[in-house]
Amino acid sequence: MSDQADLLTQFSNALATRAESAKNAVVAIRLAHERHMTGMVWQSGIVVASEQSLPRKDDFELVGAGGAVLTARVAGRDPSTNIAILRLAEQLASPSITAGDARTGAVVLAIGADGTGGASARLGLVNVAGAEWHSSRGGLIDRRIVLDVRLARREEGGPVYDAAGSCLGMSTFGPRGQVIAIPTATLERVVPQLAKDGRIARGWLGVGLQAVAVPDALRDTADQSSGLMVMSVVENGPAAQAGIVAGDIILSVDGTPAHRFRKIARHFGADSIGRKAELRLIRSGAVMTVQATIAERHAA
Amino acid sequence: MSEAASQLAPKERLRVAVHAVDLPRRVALGRVVAEAGHLVVGTLDAADVVLADGDGPPGETRPVVTLGGADDDVPGALPRDADASQIDAAIRAVAAGLVVRLPGAREAGFGAMRETDAHALLTPRELEVLAALAEGMTNKAIARRLDISLHTVKFHVESLFRKLGARTRTEAVAKASERRRRETISL
Repeated sequence: MSDQADLLTQFSNALATRAESAKNAVVAIRLAHERHMTGMVWQSGIVVASEQSLPRKDDFELVGAGGAVLTARVAGRDPSTNIAILRLAEQLASPSITAGDARTGAVVLAIGADGTGGASARLGLVNVAGAEWHSSRGGLIDRRIVLDVRLARREEGGPVYDAAGSCLGMSTFGPRGQVIAIPTATLERVVPQLAKDGRIARGWLGVGLQAVAVPDALRDTADQSSGLMVMSVVENGPAAQAGIVAGDIILSVDGTPAHRFRKIARHFGADSIGRKAELRLIRSGAVMTVQATIAERHAA
Repeated sequence: MSEAASQLAPKERLRVAVHAVDLPRRVALGRVVAEAGHLVVGTLDAADVVLADGDGPPGETRPVVTLGGADDDVPGALPRDADASQIDAAIRAVAAGLVVRLPGAREAGFGAMRETDAHALLTPRELEVLAALAEGMTNKAIARRLDISLHTVKFHVESLFRKLGARTRTEAVAKASERRRRETISL
C-alpha cells in the first residue's frame, strides 16, 4: 500500500520538477488587456510562437523566467505551418531541445507561460499520432499530433514534452478547439529558414485549383481518374503567361500525377522558383502539355 | 402586448462609450447605439459598456463589445459588419454579464487541407450543370444550353445529388459552393 502511495508521490514530484525547470523554456508574449500568449525559447536569441495567434505587429514585450521583461521583434512568420519567430534584443539562456517522437497513448506535459516568469503545466496524452499532413494553407506538417490536453489561450505556443523530457512540438489550437502540436521536426525545418529569410519561399503559378473527376471519355487518354481544374487565373501570373485558362484540368506536374494538391506540393517548394514546370493538362477534350515558369509566391 | 410580455422586455437605457479611431465610423456607431435607445457617452465617462471598432483601448476594465477585433478575451465579439440589432443585443447581453459570440467563431484553428473523397469528385460536366442550377434553370433549359438530352441532364443532376449528399437543387448548389470555398487551392 505504502509502495503505491510512493509511486504516485514519485510521479507527482517528477511532474512538478519538470514543470519547475520548464519555466526556462517558455516566455510570456504580452498582448493587449494584460493578456499574454506563450512563446517557446528555441535558441538563445529566438522565440517560437503560434503564428495564428500572434497579433500582426512588429514589436513585443516578453516576460522571461523569473519575471525579466525583454523586448523582441518578429523576425518571420509562416502561416502555412503556423510558426512565427521573434528575435530577442538580449540573449537568453536557452534549454537544450531534444526532439521526441509522438506515440499514441504516451503521457505528455504541456507547458505554458504564467505571465509573471513562471510556468503553467497541463498533463494529458497523445490522443492521435499520425502521418504527415498538409495544412489548409498548403504547409507540410511532419506528423499529425493530436493531444488529449486542455489548454488555455495564454498557454498556446508552449512546448509539449513526453515522459522522457523530449520535446514533441509546440502546442497550438486546431479546428473546433482541438489541441494539437506542431512537431519538433517541422520547427527544426522551418525556424532556420524563417530566421534567415523572414519567410518561407514558395513557388507560385497564379491559379486557383479544385480537384475534379476526369470525364469518362478521357480517362484512357489521361490515364488517371482525377486532376486539378483551373478555377481562376491571376492576370499576368506565370500560368496566364503560359496560356493556361480557366477550365483546364492539370493532370501532372513534371510527371507527378496531380490527383490532389498534396501530391504535387513538393514541386512548388523554395527551390522551384524560376524553374520551368511541365504541365500535362486537358483542354477542350484533348490532352496537351504546357510549360510554365514558376515564380515566387508573395505573402497571402 | 400582454402584461407578462411587457415585463419581459424592459427597454433599459445603457450608457455606451463608443471607441473608434475612424471618425465617420465613430459617428455611425454612435447613431446605431442612440437609435437602439442607449445613451452615448464619452470614452472617459462612466459607461456600462464599451463598443469598440476593432480592438478596444488597452487596459479597458469595463465590458467590451468588439466589432471585428482580434482580441479573443472580451465578453462581446461581433464581426465588423454586424447589423444594428446584433449590436444592440450584444450591448444588452454584455451589460447583463453574458458573453456574446457568433456561432462557429471557435471553429477556426490551424487545420488540415480539406479534400473530397475520389468517388465524390465532380466532373467538369457536372460543374457546368451545377452552374446552371445555381442560375435557377430548369432541366429543359439546361439541356438546351449544354446541347444534351433531357435524360442526360437528369442523370447529371442525380449524380450531383448523390456526390454532394443533397436532396434538393438549392441544397446541391449550397453544398457545392461550400466545398469550393473550402477546397480551392491557390497555387
